[in-house]
Amino acid sequence: MDLQHTSFRDPAGQVFRDQKGRVFRQINQAGAEDFDLLLSSGLYDVLTQRHFMVSHKLVRGETRDKLVGPDAYQLIQPQKIPFVSYPFEWSFSQLRDAALLTLRIQLAALEHGMTLKDASAYNVQFLDGKPIFIDTLSFEAYHDGTPWQAYRQFCQHFLAPLSLMAYTDQNLSQLLRVHLDGIPLDLAARLLPARARLRMGVLMHIVWHARSQRAKASEHKASTVSVRQRNLKAILLDLEHTITKLKPRVQQTEWADYYHNTNYSSAATDAKAKLIKTMLKTIKPKTAVDLGGNNGHYSRLLSRQKIPVVCTDIDPNAVEANYRGSKKAKDTNMLPLVVDLTNPGGALGWQNTEREAVHERLQTDLVMALALVHHLAISNNLPFGMIARYFSQFAPYLIIEFVPKDDSQVQKLLATRKDIFPDYHEDGLEVAFDEYYRLVEKSKIRGTKRTLYLFKRKAV
Amino acid sequence: MMIFGYIDPGTGSLFLQAIIGVLLGGIVVFRNIIGRAIYKLRTVFRQNTDDNEEES
Repeated sequence: MDLQHTSFRDPAGQVFRDQKGRVFRQINQAGAEDFDLLLSSGLYDVLTQRHFMVSHKLVRGETRDKLVGPDAYQLIQPQKIPFVSYPFEWSFSQLRDAALLTLRIQLAALEHGMTLKDASAYNVQFLDGKPIFIDTLSFEAYHDGTPWQAYRQFCQHFLAPLSLMAYTDQNLSQLLRVHLDGIPLDLAARLLPARARLRMGVLMHIVWHARSQRAKASEHKASTVSVRQRNLKAILLDLEHTITKLKPRVQQTEWADYYHNTNYSSAATDAKAKLIKTMLKTIKPKTAVDLGGNNGHYSRLLSRQKIPVVCTDIDPNAVEANYRGSKKAKDTNMLPLVVDLTNPGGALGWQNTEREAVHERLQTDLVMALALVHHLAISNNLPFGMIARYFSQFAPYLIIEFVPKDDSQVQKLLATRKDIFPDYHEDGLEVAFDEYYRLVEKSKIRGTKRTLYLFKRKAV
Repeated sequence: MMIFGYIDPGTGSLFLQAIIGVLLGGIVVFRNIIGRAIYKLRTVFRQNTDDNEEES
């Protein structure tokens, strides 16, 4: 039994994985009353029917007895989330949709005599292209007059990063990697430009909130603060209104217009897509990850065939475009994520195990790395052997595009620096990758100087 | 009534909720009153217009 290292704070229960990789949640005696209320109040039915929250099945009999600890009240097996992602990997709209979901769940909970006792962005995951709440134990009985215990956490996890992405820079979502319990509000208030204070919601929930925290910082006694339910709902609706009105700050990046600035002709693009499709017929993947996939142009070759694909890119604009495009096209098999491959998120938190590394979470049948290797090998000085080793940790199959030195895109990268890459050629790549992979297929991409490879990972 | 959870809500956050709750809740009540008043005025105005039309 492998206790999830993310699941140790709430005494109401914990999540663990069994030897078959199945995920379970144990409800402890401390969480029994609230769990029963979630079911009996009708809130669970409402949330699962609206696809706001994962459903679960109760585990009974021998399996239960084998898995649970002495403090167990119930054992549940929640609906499976194929790919776990973290808030710092989401684009603006993904984080906004997760925030709005959390608020709608809190409003629904109040209607059923319950409240969210925490509002961590890590309680939300993406399933079928939409955010979904995963923490069945986040609910507790609501008592009229009680303020929202998770108000500060909600502002730190959602409103602060969204405001910074809207008013300052989209890359500031990366602050969530440093501050795992959300961006401190005094820091957010300092980083926001003066014009952000013109939005009443930002002024109240971030700037005044930070001031109020500072003013009351030395008070460590329980205060008798009462907030009527009507007023609490008004706060929630105001948060919803504020977040809905925020728009991501438009930024010009090197990657934002990638497919318009590429040296590919439309015939070459089609030829590359055709080659990939042929390779997909050989592999027949059930899941895939497209590394450096920009706006998901080639990932769609998979998602349109109903193959779930995670499309990662370093550029938040490209990931935002992919998410919005997939949402509009009702593409439920695409999960776009912001990932810097030279410094991927994960292995964070307590003992570096609270949040798993990207390659541990995105285990698939196929990894695609199209027009990526030159950025890793030349822009980031990564030897081919290290690239091969990293890619082999994701999936048994690899489709990789090699971009030679005489390609105009590589010449741009070498224009202002010394060429210290004598092994950067097809033979060099094949020799380095041979340590981890067997070459299955190799084809020139018509109309370009590039080569597309299909590799299969060697058995360890 | 104060019920404590497993996370620290922060004293400043609780106080702020009490203040902005009254403010935002008050705005909602005010909007509702204005909304109802406008609705009533419209109903009365419509009735008067209908009565005038019938008379003519």
